[in-house]
Amino acid sequence: MAKQIVKRDGCSVLFDSSKILNAIAKANKAVGEEEITATGLLFVTEEVCRLLEARSLSNVEEIQDVVEEVLIRFGFSKTAKAYILYRAEHTKIRDAETYLMDIYKKLTWAPAKEEDIKRENANIDGDTAMGTMLRYGSEGSKFFIDNYVLPKDAAAGHANGDIHIHDKDFYMLTETCCQIDLIRLFKKGFSTGHGYLREPNSIESYAALACIALQANQNEMHGGQSIPNFDFAMAQGVNKTFRKEYVAAFACFLEVKNELDAAEAVARTEVLLQGLPYQPTLGNGEAFGQALLACHGETMRPLLAKTHLHATQKAIQATRRRTYQAMEAFIHNLNTMNSRAGAQVPFSSVNYGTDVSAEGRMVVENLLLATKAGLGNGETSIFPVQIFKVKAGVSFNPEDPNYDLFRLAMETSARRLFPNFSFLDAPFNAQYYREGDYNSEVAYMGCRTRVIGNVYDTERQVTCGRGNLSFTTVNLPRLGLEAKGNTAAFFTLLDERIDLVFRQLLHRFKVQGSKKVYNYPFLMGQGIWLDSEHLKWEDSIEEVLKHGTLTIGFIGLAEALYALLGKHHGQCEQAQALGLQIVQHLRRRADEKARETGLNFSLIATPAEGLSGRFVALDKQRYGTLEGITDKDYYTNSFHVPVSFSIAAFRKIQLEAPYHALTNAGHISYVELDGDASKNLEAFETIVRFMHAQGVGYGSINHPLDRDPVCGYIGVIDDCCPRCGRKEGEGVSEEALLQLKKQYHDVPM
Amino acid sequence: MQRNASLPCVHSLRVHGVVEESIVDGPGLRFVVFTQGCLHGCPGCHNPATHSFGEGYETTPQALLTQFATNPLLAGVTFSGGEPFLQPEPLAFLAKQVHALGKTVVVYTGYTLEALYPLAQERPAVASLLEQTDLLIDGPYVAALRELDSGLKGSSNQRILDNEAIGSLWNVLQLRQGNVPNG
Repeated sequence: MAKQIVKRDGCSVLFDSSKILNAIAKANKAVGEEEITATGLLFVTEEVCRLLEARSLSNVEEIQDVVEEVLIRFGFSKTAKAYILYRAEHTKIRDAETYLMDIYKKLTWAPAKEEDIKRENANIDGDTAMGTMLRYGSEGSKFFIDNYVLPKDAAAGHANGDIHIHDKDFYMLTETCCQIDLIRLFKKGFSTGHGYLREPNSIESYAALACIALQANQNEMHGGQSIPNFDFAMAQGVNKTFRKEYVAAFACFLEVKNELDAAEAVARTEVLLQGLPYQPTLGNGEAFGQALLACHGETMRPLLAKTHLHATQKAIQATRRRTYQAMEAFIHNLNTMNSRAGAQVPFSSVNYGTDVSAEGRMVVENLLLATKAGLGNGETSIFPVQIFKVKAGVSFNPEDPNYDLFRLAMETSARRLFPNFSFLDAPFNAQYYREGDYNSEVAYMGCRTRVIGNVYDTERQVTCGRGNLSFTTVNLPRLGLEAKGNTAAFFTLLDERIDLVFRQLLHRFKVQGSKKVYNYPFLMGQGIWLDSEHLKWEDSIEEVLKHGTLTIGFIGLAEALYALLGKHHGQCEQAQALGLQIVQHLRRRADEKARETGLNFSLIATPAEGLSGRFVALDKQRYGTLEGITDKDYYTNSFHVPVSFSIAAFRKIQLEAPYHALTNAGHISYVELDGDASKNLEAFETIVRFMHAQGVGYGSINHPLDRDPVCGYIGVIDDCCPRCGRKEGEGVSEEALLQLKKQYHDVPM
Repeated sequence: MQRNASLPCVHSLRVHGVVEESIVDGPGLRFVVFTQGCLHGCPGCHNPATHSFGEGYETTPQALLTQFATNPLLAGVTFSGGEPFLQPEPLAFLAKQVHALGKTVVVYTGYTLEALYPLAQERPAVASLLEQTDLLIDGPYVAALRELDSGLKGSSNQRILDNEAIGSLWNVLQLRQGNVPNG
């Protein structure tokens, strides 16, 4: 008998005949018939060992050959077959492991610009240490999920491009995104999991802690992080700042006017401001002044009136200045601070525009001004994605209290591409709206995700503390091609895909639901997710997760229509009618599934640009290059009219708006303007107002920003480039360019 | 300028093309008609293909108006070129119809208003078109004076005149002409 056997990797281990016996037993059990008794197993194993010795075989593959031979010789042909299959499957996995190691080699040695795999996520710098470490994890995880976790049909559907399981590498780990209520979080302070923070007391701290909250939550989820009520939350910081500034200016005035020493002035201020019915705020200057005078005797009043006036003016000035700086720091932080092992900035969004308080308005005004001014040397910032809430009676019409902010938002967007605009008056959004309650205002997460309806808990159709759990996208053009122009066949195939996606979403939900509070020390441990504050550290999160959404998405409606009718919905009314029918069908199926399961199944107009390229590449392999369908690099985003199709803005909005009402898990429409929108705000406003009128839920106006080919600056360039200072036709010295390269990552070299 | 009550319907004009929605040819979203044919020959012109008189195609004010009227977002029409004042009859007619829809008219010309004055003496429609113009950007493009900051002008010698300014300058020109004996 051989004492050692040689494994595939070349190393030797002690021979153990029980391993052979177990393998045969497993194969036999898998067959379910042709049962081999315990004695039979021993007999077969002994026969294998005898032959190995007789032939002096010691290699693993040779041993397996002998096992097959013996099984067949003794008439256990079915068991032999199972054994062969088992062998083949493991060979496949081993090959895949080699494949994984090849990927690791590429990640390690090749520069990002040469390897697609290192550029998969545009936000991650694949050349840095932490970026590479993150990619090792991601690729290893995908391998594990594909080979050991996913149900076979879902794995196959994803691999062949029928569907796309988004963020598959996070399948076993976490959820997509969350709308964070900072007001709740800040109350009594919070812990990030690494350190405890007190309740903030100034606008600077409010803004800094907002960044920290986004960052901490980003490290626990795979999608974006959003603040749905930014103006309301930051207003509290402005309020505290103003009060302190008022008191300080009040004391300062007394100190100078009455020639008191500083401590005495502070003490007197305290006494004078005591016992008043309310605190001084940014918005109540006059009323507070009157209350102050009413509280004191005739002789004090002239001095108090002057002091109050001075304190109010000084406090307003100081608060405005500090708020601007806090908002500037907020933007700078979100474009520079690290998350995910230092390889990425958080994917952040903020929604605002409906707080009509003086404090909330000051926040929004200064955030917009800081955004308009740009980063560093006037660079256009990428984060946070900003969304201005448009609401008649609040911000939409010239007589509305926040109309001025809406105007400023458009002015800012015309220069910086953000903010985008959300429309709370669209009927599907308006149904949730309760005046003065930010939790009833629909918010959008930057990429377009929308979470508000709640079939699991109809009393809690709210924005805060909720988000998407996961989403999976259907490749519509492929269905169009498979249906070969037959609409009925298309819907049959579509139903099969929808069934597959629902099964897979539920499978993932089971995995997610098996997690405990301690897996999410911030998201669940700090009570950010709805109802998680009632859970204990070791509790399962399955029940509270039901507030989140399970979402099916779609891509390439235009190409699917083209495959079915030879025209897309921008080209003919029949196609538009069928397009609506398809998306209505998807929505109806999601609604039915939601009723059946009590879970928030919903429909999203899938955003992923990278994915639309993957689908088209796979379909090109399968069906060849087909005009209007696979003859492009990307399938058209969700329900959009193809970007390359020339169409007037009003038509595009009219055609796309009805799909917004159907896609309850998120949507966006873009309008492309050809020219510098900052010089024509009237045109900009016309388009935003038309979106509002047509029932668009979330819209964005894009316009080409200028790009200086010499220094890479992107933004509005008039006669002189703000980054390198050159005028058209002038050059920049090599030395100056190298210097700029260190400051700006996008200087072309 | 005072607008005359009636204008004759003119059946055709030669255009280089139209842009259905432009944000760079006047306030708001605008329907731009690029007329065909121009004599100025400004060096560095950004539309040299519109200079010859043979190219482009014939269309009618009615056809342009129909196309214009389908788009609810439009603030108005812009005549650019080419030189619009070489075809003032159909354009004045179209401009009047646009006004009837409550929309505005912007006109680009390579002539200065002063240079248009003598033309108007021979061709009354020049004055009619000016009457129908809410915003006139006048004067030739001078490459050496290129200026992009303002948004509407191509070079700093050009002026942006609203209807009132056109009217008062026109009055000055008339007075000046009246002062010259036997004109």
